[in-house]
Parts: sequence; structure tokens; C-alpha cells
Amino acid sequence: MTAAPLLDVRNLKKSYSIGRSGLFSKRSLKVLHDVSFSVAPGEVLGLVGESGSGKSTIGRAILRLIESQSDVMRFDGQDLNSISPVRMRSLRKQMQIIFQDPYASLDPRKTIRAVLSEALDAHGLHKGAARVPRLIELVTLVGLDPSFLDRRPHEFSGGQRQRIGIARALAVEPSFIVCDEAVSALDVSIQAQVLNLLADLRAKTGVSLMFISHDLSVVRYISDRVMVLYLGRVMEVGPADQVHFSPKHPYTAALVSAEPSLHRENRRIRLTGEIPSPLVLPSGCIFRSRCPYAQPACAETVPPLQTVGDQHQSACLRTDIL
Amino acid sequence: MLAFISRRMAAAVAMLLVIGTIIFSLLIIVPGDPAELLLSTGGGSASAEAIANLRVNMGLDKPVLTQYVTFLYNTARLDFGTSIVDNGSISSVIALRLPRTLEIIIAGTIFALLLAIPAGTAAGLRAGGKFDIAASAINALLTSIPGFVLGTLFIFFFAQVLGWLPAGGYVAFAANPMQHLQMLVLPALTVGLHLATIVFRMTRASVLEMRGHDWVRTAVAKGLRRKRVVRRHILYNALGPIITVVGLQLGILLGSTVLVEFIYNWPGLSGLLVSAVEQRDYPTVRAVILTVAAIFIGINLVIDILSSLLDPRIRLQ
Amino acid sequence: MMSVRNFPKRMILPSLFLAALIIIPFAAPLITADDPVKIAVRYRLAAPDLEHWLGRDEFGRDRLARVLYGGQVSLTVAFVATTIACIIGTLFGLVGAYFRGPSEFVTSRLSDIVLCFPPILLALLVVTLFGPGSVTLVAVLSVLYFPTFARITFSEALRVTSLDFVEASRALGTPSYRIVLGTVLPNIAGPLSVQYSLTAAAAITIESGLSFLGLGVVPPAPSWGQMIRGARQFMNQDPLGIMIPCAALVLTIYAINFFCDRLRDTLDPKGTSGSSMDEVSKPKSRANAPTIKDPDVVAVINNLRLETAHFGTPAVIEDVSLTLRANQCTALVGESGSGKSLSSLALMGLLPGAIRQVGGTLQLRRKSDEVVDLGFLDARRLEDIRGNDIAMIFQEPMTSLNPIHKISDQMIEAITAHRPMSKSDARAHAIALLKRVGMNDAERRIDSYPDQMSGGMRQRVMIGMALSCEPRLLIADEPTTALDVTIQAEIIELLQTLRQDQGNGLSLLFISHNLGVVADIADRVAVMYSGLIVEEGPAAQILRDPHHPYTRALIESMPSSHEELNSARGDRLPAISGTPPLPSARPSGCTFRDRCPIALPACAHIRPALYPSADGERAVRCLRAPEAPAGVMNHQTEAA
Ligand SMILES: Nc1ncnc2c1ncn2[C@@H]1O[C@H](COP(=O)(O)OP(=O)(O)OP(=O)(O)O)[C@@H](O)[C@H]1O
Ligand code: SF4
Ligand code: SF4
Ligand SMILES: [Mg+2]
Repeated sequence: MTAAPLLDVRNLKKSYSIGRSGLFSKRSLKVLHDVSFSVAPGEVLGLVGESGSGKSTIGRAILRLIESQSDVMRFDGQDLNSISPVRMRSLRKQMQIIFQDPYASLDPRKTIRAVLSEALDAHGLHKGAARVPRLIELVTLVGLDPSFLDRRPHEFSGGQRQRIGIARALAVEPSFIVCDEAVSALDVSIQAQVLNLLADLRAKTGVSLMFISHDLSVVRYISDRVMVLYLGRVMEVGPADQVHFSPKHPYTAALVSAEPSLHRENRRIRLTGEIPSPLVLPSGCIFRSRCPYAQPACAETVPPLQTVGDQHQSACLRTDIL
Repeated sequence: MLAFISRRMAAAVAMLLVIGTIIFSLLIIVPGDPAELLLSTGGGSASAEAIANLRVNMGLDKPVLTQYVTFLYNTARLDFGTSIVDNGSISSVIALRLPRTLEIIIAGTIFALLLAIPAGTAAGLRAGGKFDIAASAINALLTSIPGFVLGTLFIFFFAQVLGWLPAGGYVAFAANPMQHLQMLVLPALTVGLHLATIVFRMTRASVLEMRGHDWVRTAVAKGLRRKRVVRRHILYNALGPIITVVGLQLGILLGSTVLVEFIYNWPGLSGLLVSAVEQRDYPTVRAVILTVAAIFIGINLVIDILSSLLDPRIRLQ
Repeated sequence: MMSVRNFPKRMILPSLFLAALIIIPFAAPLITADDPVKIAVRYRLAAPDLEHWLGRDEFGRDRLARVLYGGQVSLTVAFVATTIACIIGTLFGLVGAYFRGPSEFVTSRLSDIVLCFPPILLALLVVTLFGPGSVTLVAVLSVLYFPTFARITFSEALRVTSLDFVEASRALGTPSYRIVLGTVLPNIAGPLSVQYSLTAAAAITIESGLSFLGLGVVPPAPSWGQMIRGARQFMNQDPLGIMIPCAALVLTIYAINFFCDRLRDTLDPKGTSGSSMDEVSKPKSRANAPTIKDPDVVAVINNLRLETAHFGTPAVIEDVSLTLRANQCTALVGESGSGKSLSSLALMGLLPGAIRQVGGTLQLRRKSDEVVDLGFLDARRLEDIRGNDIAMIFQEPMTSLNPIHKISDQMIEAITAHRPMSKSDARAHAIALLKRVGMNDAERRIDSYPDQMSGGMRQRVMIGMALSCEPRLLIADEPTTALDVTIQAEIIELLQTLRQDQGNGLSLLFISHNLGVVADIADRVAVMYSGLIVEEGPAAQILRDPHHPYTRALIESMPSSHEELNSARGDRLPAISGTPPLPSARPSGCTFRDRCPIALPACAHIRPALYPSADGERAVRCLRAPEAPAGVMNHQTEAA
């Protein structure tokens, strides 16, 4: 990470207000606590964590699809916290998103031509005669046949729809794409095809990705660095292979060991208890209620992210265990 | 649970207040002098003296705010003032006539539920089957017949052609129970059939939806008897949506009762209402409509509470 | 948007019917030269003749003219009012949904208030103040109905705006007005048009009702309600007089409702009847006599073939045979749509109504050691077997339990369905079961509702419930797919332990698409592809040394099989191309051949059988597998 980061986020916070506890006071549900990270140009940052850990919220907050608070949020040198709506709209050309559900992410009423044209129209790209060649280029890029352009989503399989979603994101030539569980709904043979497609694209176009998934092996394969989240806090962040093969945080270790594998002998680290409700979080280390190594001290301080290796940080008080 | 009920009650009271305010302000926003307007029946204008009288009588000479507060206060005491036409107490007329209207509605509702819930369930369980096709076709036809047309046709067939039942009228139950019930049949049937079409539709749709849920498959996989699966895991779940819709449709039902009573000369609220409208007796019209709206809100309050008893998710939210 | 060519067939009839009923009144001058208001008392109640097809009314006016012109009035009032209400309401709703905030509050509250007034009463109230007349009516009806439109637009738009594709448009930077008009509005047009028809029908009803009371359209202008009112007094002498306007009114409303129903069906086909006649279709084919001999075998599926109930459709399951043994876990793996769930549902006698069993047998050894053929059993006996001898747990713990009954009630009914037991004994048994599946504080939590539990806990409840009658066979259809990995690991471990404790030699049929999970739990594996079992045998052998190219591809394309690969270093996963074929588009010969990396020309002609290995332990459906009989290709190619 020598170049200036493409995306730099410091202390990202997000809470939702839910119902009322009294007559006037609203209860708020904190789903992100001071998440900080950066993404270098051309880098793939993987985000893993169980449901409710705030992975998708981070992706949507960066794209300003939802409101959030942060101390710093800079993209390509521009401050997203103070950007005007007009500038933001043109900045959208540079940041895109690919969704999880291939069935909900395409408007059932629009042909593929209309879907891709909408993307180009939004930024006045490839107008007039240049339009058709660009559309053909896009569908070919994601491995589809140009004859698909005039069909509607219901005529496609899940894998094909996911490719269309990727083509839509690529249409505006972004420098950064959030892939929110982009391969999770796909069958394994199709998933491999789409993963290879993404790998090709990053090699070809140098796009940066934020790759969100609950599948650790997928994230390890596709990412340069991986960030592990638990209930809206960063537990560990570091180079993909290191985090996967020599995790430094008990939660990462448990996650990796829980992952079913054909090839590794299972030495599963047992976690006790259930994921706590985000309304009543444990004090101190948020993972303490399930951590096999928890000590009384863990209840007192929120462990800060500490450097544990080259580019590798972990938020655990006990450095003696892993 | 208690918190839930009190929250709903508060909402119902607030709703009544809003409705009272709207009805009150209608008279304020109407262009021109309301007293003059109300007395100008049939194009001729009333004497200045009569208009001035009415103004005093309805309190129209006081400041708007005073009128408003007085109106709310009196309404809360169930004092609706006096009729423009005969100066009689509106409250006592309503007290006399309301039970008769409720009688038709209750009889009609019972008839509708008894007919439509079993039929809707059977149709929903075997959607696309012979019974469903037949019942749905009949239902579609019945849905298209407005209450007053149905009533008119009933009178024509059952009273005029067949002569089985009286064409209309009213006798107090105490005076002649048998005749009272005979006279009740057609109005109740007319109102009930109308409601039945709605309940049938809703039951069928709700049963159809519920039977596709995963928990029904779980129930079958547990080896429960079919009857039990239908009762506990389809119908019981469908009941909440059904009564909610019935509650909302009661507004339309209450409305169609007006016409039905009119057709059968049943001296309920509607006779009062129709003649009051004809004679522009605004205080009476206002009182009847407030009463009906209050009944509607009351019924929906009960239904809210009922469905929260049926479905823990509403309570826990 | 919809071209004439793909105008849905089901909409043609209702559209024509409705169009005719709307056009005819407005074509009145072409149909009759009579004046609807010209009084000719001499001819009062005259019978129909050649000039006056429908006769004359109580004032001697031509009835045909009155019905037609009356229709004009009713339809105009109704449609003008509905259109105004629809436009205003839709605007309100869209603004409320897209921008939220105060407009949202106004939209939802306003309709709550208007709903409290029976429509006809509100109309009466206004008539009292403003006097009767068509203009008053249009105004009242518009005010009355616009909140409903606002509410529907609001909730539908809210649903649509939360969909991914709207979010995608926002992420693309498409301007708000274009998103609302180009994406949101077309997607809510369906429900809105349904509401439009419903409202038009209701408006006609109210208009005619008011006119019937003499408080609507002002005489002498004709209107259906008025005609009925007038003819009522002469009902006895002149039944025709009352029948004609009634028929016109009912027919028109019916046409609108009919149109509306069909429209709803067309827009949302799953909501209505469809083809399913019943929730489950019963197993049909049967062997001549039960044939399970081996006392260790719990269930046998033999050459199962399933088709959709529509005539002439291809088999969704072509040929599935499985033998399930006591103390064994058999895993059924394969990609989505390969037929794993249907095969297992068949064994439960729980096939969806749209699926028919057309071949093969399903046999089961009951706890009493009696062997039964499911095809011979009536519904009653199937109920006795389900939950008792075979139990099943499903993929979605969130929806598999009934949300409105307590856990305790749902467990107790499962127990008492098969065991004569008092409720309190059953409850004690249920609590013991919950403890066995690892629920702390079971005594208290048994009385909670499913929504108060996490997904993992609900799946534990499902497992406890499934084991409540100590079945011989437990079918688990993707029981961990919806769960987080740490919870998944716990559930798998639980299933393992329970299997060992069960004592009566529980056989487990475990369905999954995740080979890693399968490696953890299964003794035997059967791999399905497009309605066929393509490879079957001991789990360890198959996962270590797959013989079918598809099995190999499944294992190879998992990223966890390649811990050395990383996309950053330019590595690619070994993936096969293509997608599994739909049942209707299976290729000839081997169904896998268009994706198979080692296919030969012969694979296009010969549909391979499941060839057993020499020791009979495993079997493979591939012409190039070591198990395939020598010469199978030459032999059959010649024949072909
Ligand atoms: N009710 C139904 N009506 C018509 N076809 C059906 C029905 N249910 C399933 N099918 C079809 O039968 C085939 C097998 O479906 P099945 O549900 O058994 O697959 P599966 O292997 O369990 O897939 P998944 O992994 O997605 O659960 C599919 O082609 C599917 O489309
Ligand atoms: S800080 Fe304590 S509780 Fe938290 S992960 Fe480390 S050891 Fe476990
Ligand atoms: S039979 Fe031929 S096409 Fe089929 S799997 Fe074997 S080699 Fe491939
Ligand atoms: Mg399945």
C-alpha cells in the first residue's frame, strides 16, 4: 500500500432508530462501531462476518445509499462527508455495486439493453452511434451473447443474471465496485465461473473491489486483504492468506475452523452461546460472551486494533494465545 | 398486552377527535352563511327571522373556537343538540333507532360469517377444483350486485312473486316476535350476502396463502391428521387477516345498510339520515355520521385486540 | 410497453366485454333517436314495440334511451372521479414513499381517517351541505377515494424502492424523477390498475345508490339509480321496468370486476388458483409385494420417476434409486434444481400437488419391522407413518415453525399425534427433547414463540420435534444452509451426536449442496445432476477419488479445494462452463455432455446407465468411468 488510498474511511458509525422505549425517547440500534479501513487502487478488500455483522451496511454507507456518520470518508481525493449532491451524482460513475440476489437486482420489466443503457444515460456516456458497440462490448465482456440484449431478466438463469448485474456495474467504467455477496446465491460450478470473471476483470481493468461474503474460502481466494467483522466491529484485518491460515483473533480462528472443508481435518474451536442481540451488547470486548479465551479483563476495555504482523492487525487483549 | 391495548385505545380516541374536527369544520368552510344555506331547501330562501333563530340555536353566532369547544364537549357527553326540523333531541332519536340498525348488521354479519368462512375455506383448500370454480363464479356475480339492487330484487321475488315474506316494515319484537323476525329476514339477508361475498373472497385468498407456507408442510410432516392441519395451521393463521379485512369492510357494510333500511322501510338510523339529508337537517346528519364512525372505530379497536390475541407477532412487534 | 402480440390471452375476453359496456352508452345517438327526457304521459308504461324496444317508463319516456343516456351519466361520474382520485392519490403516494418524512405521515393517516367514514355516508354529508348534483358527486367521490390510491401507491412504492434494482439505479446516479417515473411507477402499475377498476365499480355503486335515494343525479337527467327508484312503485304491473336498469347496472359492475380479477391473476399468477388441487400428491406406483429383505435397510427408493402434472412435460426426476440403511448417513448432493428435495419429499409422501409420481416404488421399514409400500397406503396410514417412522427437517428455520403457536404447543401436538400421552407428559417429554438438542433453560423457553428465537435455536427445535417419536429415518433437507457457519457447525455436531445416541439405529438422509458439510457427516454420498443420480458410493471414496466428471467438477470448483490459489496472483479456479439444463432442455445421450470436459462423440448417442463397480460399493453414470462395461461405447455406437 504505497500509493495514496482510493478509499479512506475513519470511524464509520451507523445506527438505526427502532420503535420507542418511552413516549418520546427513541431506542437506537448501533450496527457499526468506529470501523476504519482503506482500499488502495486496484486492491480487493474482503469483508467477512456472520449475519448482522454489518458487512452490507458498510458497502451501502460508502456508496451513500444510506446515511451514516464518519470522521473521514474520502474517495479518490474527495471528501464524501461534505460533497454536494450534484458532485456525488457524477462521482457515482466511479463507484458501483453488485448485489447478492440475482433475481431482485434486475427490473423484471426492462430488457438488458434498457438496463445497460440506463447506466450509460445516467452519465451521458456512449451516446448515439457509439451506444450499440458499447452494449455489445459489455455483454461480451461478461461472457454473454449479444443476442441476449433484447431479452428480459426472466429468460435468464441466476448465473447469467449475475453477469448482467456485473455488466451494469462495469458500464460506467468505475474504479471501485462493492460486491455484496455477489456469488453467494450461485451454485458452486457457476460461482467458480463468476469468480473467475471478476478475477479477469480486476486484472484487465485494475478496478478495486470491496468483496463482501460470509464464505471465507471465497473471500480468501479473491482478496488481497481481508477484514473480519463481528457485530459491527473490526476484529481482525490483514493479508488474505495470513488471516485465513494463521488468524490472530479468536473469532477469526473459530470462523475458519467452523468452515466445512473437504480436505482439512476438522479441529473445530467450539464457540459457546448465541450471537448477542445488538440491543444488549457485552461490555468490553464484544466477542467476550462467546470467546473460549475470555478473561475478566476482557469485560473492562474495548480491545483496540493492534499490529500483529506486516499489515496485519487484531483486536484482542490476549496476544499470548494464537 | 395492557400497553398494547391502551396504545390502541388512545389511537382510537385520537381518531374520533380528528373525525369530529373534520365534521365540525365542514360547516365552517362551506361558502356563505351556513344557517342560510341549511334553510334554503328547494331553492326558496327562508325568512330572516328563521335564519337568525337557527344561528342562535346552533350557536353559529359565537366565535369559531367557542363553537368548536362546545361541540366537542357536547359530543363527548353524547349530546348532539336538537334537530333543525322539529327541535327534538337528536340523542334520544338515535338511542331509539340505533339498536334497530345494529340488529340488522349483527344478524347480517352472523349470516355472512356462517356462510362464507366454511365456503371460502373449502374453496381455498382446493383452489381450481369444481367447488371453487362454482363458488367463485357465484361470488363474482353477487359481488357485482349493489345492495339496493339486491334488496329490490329480493322484494320482487320473495314478497311480490312468491309472497313468502313481507316486503318491508317493522314491528317491535316485544309486540310480535314472529312477525318481527319475518321482517328481519330480508334486510339481514341483503346486508349479509353483501358482506359474505367479501368474507368469502378474503377467506379463500387467505387460506390459499397460508396453505403454501412452510409450517404447513412441517405440520403434515409431523403426521398430524389433515383436519388438524387445516384447523390449527391454516385456518387459525388465516383468521387474523380475515377479521382485519372484515373490520375494514364494515364501513362499506354500514353504508349499504342505509340503503337496505330505506328499501325495506326499516326504521333504523338510515330513515332518519335520509330524511334529514332531504330536509338539510345538518345537526342530525352530523350526529348520525359521528355515531356510525364511532361504531366503526370501536369495532376496529376490538378487532385489533382480537387479532393481537390471535397473532403474538402483533403483540411483540 | 406491452405489444399487441403478447397481450395476455386471458385478458382478451374481459377487455372486450368491458369495452363494449363502456362504449355502448356513449354510442346512444347511433342506437336510438329518442330523447331520454321527453315525457309522453299518454304512453306511460307502454310495452316494448318495434320503435321502442324496451318500452316506456312511468312518464312515457323511451326506456332504451334512458338506459343508454343514464349509463353515460353513471360512467362519466364514476370514471372522472376515479381518474382524479387515482392521479392525486398516486402523486401523494409516490412523493410519500420516495422522499419519506412528513408526506409519509399524511398519506397513511389520511386514508385511515377517510376509511372510518362509510363512503355513502360521507357523500350524504356533503350532499346535505352542497345539494345534490353530478359535480358534487364527482368531487365527493374523488376526495373519498384518493387516500386509498395514496395508500396503495405508498406501500407498493415502498416495497419497490427497497428492491435491489432501484438501489442499483440510485447507485448509478440516475436522477430521482427518472427513477420514480421510469422504474418505480411501471412496477406498481399493476396493483394500481387493479385498484382503479375496483374503485370505478365502487363509484358506480355509490352514484347509483345516491340517485336511488333521490340524492344523486338531479332529475330529469337520467340515471340507473333513478330508474330503479321510479320503477319500484310499479314493480307489480311492470317487472321489465325494474329489470332493465338493474341488469344494466349489474352487468357493468360485473364487467369491471371480471376485468379486475383477470388483471390481478395475470399480474400475480401465483396468488390464485393455478394448478395445484391439493397440497400434496399421493405416491401412486407400487411394487407387487414389499421387497425389502435385508433387516438393516430402512427405506428403498427404486427407479423413482416424477413428472409435472401438466400433460407432456418432461420428467423432473428421471431415475433415482437409493437404499437407506440403519446407522448410516446418506448424503444427497447436487446443484439447485437437480431434484434432491423432490426425491426426499417423495419418500415422505409429501410431493407438491403439481408433481406426479409416474414410476418406481417407495418402500419403508416401519418401527414395528413391518415393510410397507407407500403406494399402497391411504392418506390415513401415511399420516401414521409421517413424524412417527420418518421425520423431516427443512432448510428455512425461520418459516418452518408456525409463528402464532407456542413452541410447546407445536411440539406437544407432534408427540400426541403418534403416542397416546397426556398433555403434561408430552410437555415433559418435549422439554427433555429440547435439552437433548442443547437448549438451555428449556423449561422456560418452551413457552416462547418462534419469533423470539434465533435461527439456530429454531433449527434445534425442529430437530427435537423430528426426533420426538424416535423415527427410524430422519430426512434433513439443507438444514444448515440458512445458518451462519459457526451455528452450522454446531447443528452438524448435534446431528452427529444424536445419531449416535438414538440407539435404534437412526438412518439419516442428509441433503446438501455443500460438499464440505457432506464430508463432515456422511457415510455414503449420492450425487444428483438434472434429475438423475450420476454417482453413488462411500463418502470417503467419492470425495477423494470421484469417477464422474461432474462430481470432479463440483469438488474442483470449490475455492476451498484450492488453498494455494489467489486471484491477486493471477490464479483462476478450474471451472466448468455452462449451466445445468432445465428438465425440458436435457441434451440427448448423457445429460452432462455439453458441460463435460472429457465428452466423446458417443456421449451424444448413449444415455449411460448407473454402472456398478466390481465390488458393488459404488456406481457411476458415465461412459468413460472405470466402472463402465468394456465396449459399451463401441457396441451401442454401432447400434445407433
Ligand atoms: N411444485 C413444483 N412444480 C413444478 N416443478 C417443480 C416443483 N418443485 C420442483 N420442481 C422442479 O423439479 C426439479 C427438482 O426440484 P428440487 O426442488 O427437487 O431441486 P433441489 O435439488 O432440491 O434444488 P435446491 O438445491 O434449489 O433445493 C426442478 O427442475 C424444479 O424446477
Ligand atoms: S479480548 Fe478477550 S474476549 Fe475478546 S477476543 Fe480477546 S480473549 Fe476473547
Ligand atoms: S458419459 Fe460422456 S459426457 Fe457424460 S459424463 Fe461421461 S464422458 Fe462426460
Ligand atoms: Mg431443495
